[in-house]
Amino acid sequence: MRRVAIVGAGLTKFVRYAQETPKELAYEGVRMALDSCEMKLSDIECVVHGTAPDAFDGVHMKGEYLSDASGAYRKPYMRHYVGGGTGVLSPIHGWFHVASGMFDTCLVVTEEKMSCAYPHPAGAFLTIFDHTTEQPLYPTLIWIFAIEMNRFMTTHGYRKEDIALVAVKNKKNAIDHPSAQLAAEITVEDVLNSEVMAWPVNRLDISPTSDGAAAIILAAEHVARRVTEKPIWIDGVGWALDTAYWCTRDLYYPDYVEVAARQAYKMSGIREPSKEIHVAEPYDPFTYKELHHIEGLQLCKRGESVQMLVDGVTQRTGNLPCCPSGGALGVGNPIAATGLMKIIEIFLQLREEAGKRQVPGKPTCGLAQAWGDLMQVGTVVVMRS
Amino acid sequence: MALIERYQKTTDISYWEGQIPMSYIYTVGRAGEKFFREMMNGRIFGAKCESCDVTYVPPRTYCEKCFARLEDHYADVGGKGTVHTFTECHEAYDGTKKQKPSIVAMIRIEGTQGGIVHWLGETHFKDVYIGMSVEAVFKAKKDREGGILDIKYFRPIK
Repeated sequence: MRRVAIVGAGLTKFVRYAQETPKELAYEGVRMALDSCEMKLSDIECVVHGTAPDAFDGVHMKGEYLSDASGAYRKPYMRHYVGGGTGVLSPIHGWFHVASGMFDTCLVVTEEKMSCAYPHPAGAFLTIFDHTTEQPLYPTLIWIFAIEMNRFMTTHGYRKEDIALVAVKNKKNAIDHPSAQLAAEITVEDVLNSEVMAWPVNRLDISPTSDGAAAIILAAEHVARRVTEKPIWIDGVGWALDTAYWCTRDLYYPDYVEVAARQAYKMSGIREPSKEIHVAEPYDPFTYKELHHIEGLQLCKRGESVQMLVDGVTQRTGNLPCCPSGGALGVGNPIAATGLMKIIEIFLQLREEAGKRQVPGKPTCGLAQAWGDLMQVGTVVVMRS
Repeated sequence: MALIERYQKTTDISYWEGQIPMSYIYTVGRAGEKFFREMMNGRIFGAKCESCDVTYVPPRTYCEKCFARLEDHYADVGGKGTVHTFTECHEAYDGTKKQKPSIVAMIRIEGTQGGIVHWLGETHFKDVYIGMSVEAVFKAKKDREGGILDIKYFRPIK
């Protein structure tokens, strides 16, 4: 397999109600990615698109609808979809196209416009649950996370006030992100005093619904060396799905993230992730999910993620910065675009182009991870400078 | 019974009824805002890409061929065009018979590579042909709402 580099990236602002159509959002992301590395659309050989349920934008066969705005006019094009895990699957999908030798360049685009869904995109989730055994209970996404969070907290003896520090950290980090929707200086008390959505999940434990798009450009080594002096290599990829029967899983631990991470680490030759990964972007749609995923990613032992957080290890200036971008909690969560936003953050961190968000110590190895589908997919990408 | 025979009565099997409870608010977007605001003035707008020599109707913010930004290149393309292709519909979208068949045509707007799908009026199916010159007929100004139905239909240019 050939080496594959990220050579350019574009990211729109994340907002709650975008005037732009989904197509116009996708175009803005792609235009920025092309401009970032001075490439033309004619330099792109193929396009992959990641976007989550059609039910968000309210356009059936959304991948096809978004194709021209994603630069795919008369080009080989594929859309993929693994729910919230989509944004980190998207570079993996593009990586295959280039690593295989089939194409020298691949444009990877992700888009989500959740504000179309009315009164709330959460309505789209009712029908992901089993129609006979679960739908009659009118489940919401928030209460399934609430029962997972409770299991996670209780198993490890974590306290809600400690988990709330994730929101404090990420929303603060987002202040330095030009795309951020919910950047803020908040306190643990603010989180604990915010409205209870489904105990133990409060409003400030949750990422917002967002509109936005992100794009990156992948290139084979000989092209990457021509395009940029600072290619960032996709060095390990992994993804895995657990059973779709969620009652069969023990929710306290994301085994599927571990499987995906181990696949990526093996490919990248990583034996001690907590030492060899310098900066990470675990998926943080809820406060506890950042911790849940840090454990699944083997960045600490099970049950130690809260201590890491409390000790400041995951702060931007800590030994293992997590979500220096501000994450889904701070930058926003236009589902598929969020995962790619995380990939772009690691790209910028490893190029030392993250500006005020730059983590110290010249990181050379980073990781982005996302999670989704029926709460059972893990997607992981390891990158190196 | 399963996999071998089709069930004949719903009383033979357990089943449920359900729905996906979603509704939507779609913005018309940046290019759409221009298109529909101008339509309320009785004008059809397009967007021209100079380098590809293509005019898109309705207008777009970008050229799909070269990705140039087209927002500074919106222009009135006039209300005339030709029938690129057409059909006469006898059934409605729900499968019921239409009281009066309608003629639907793809109209290539003059001087552009884009077009509008719309009804043809003030004509008969047997008189319509590919290449026929047509023009947009707008609703009375007070009835226009900023939508594609602000055009009542296209009619032959006499």
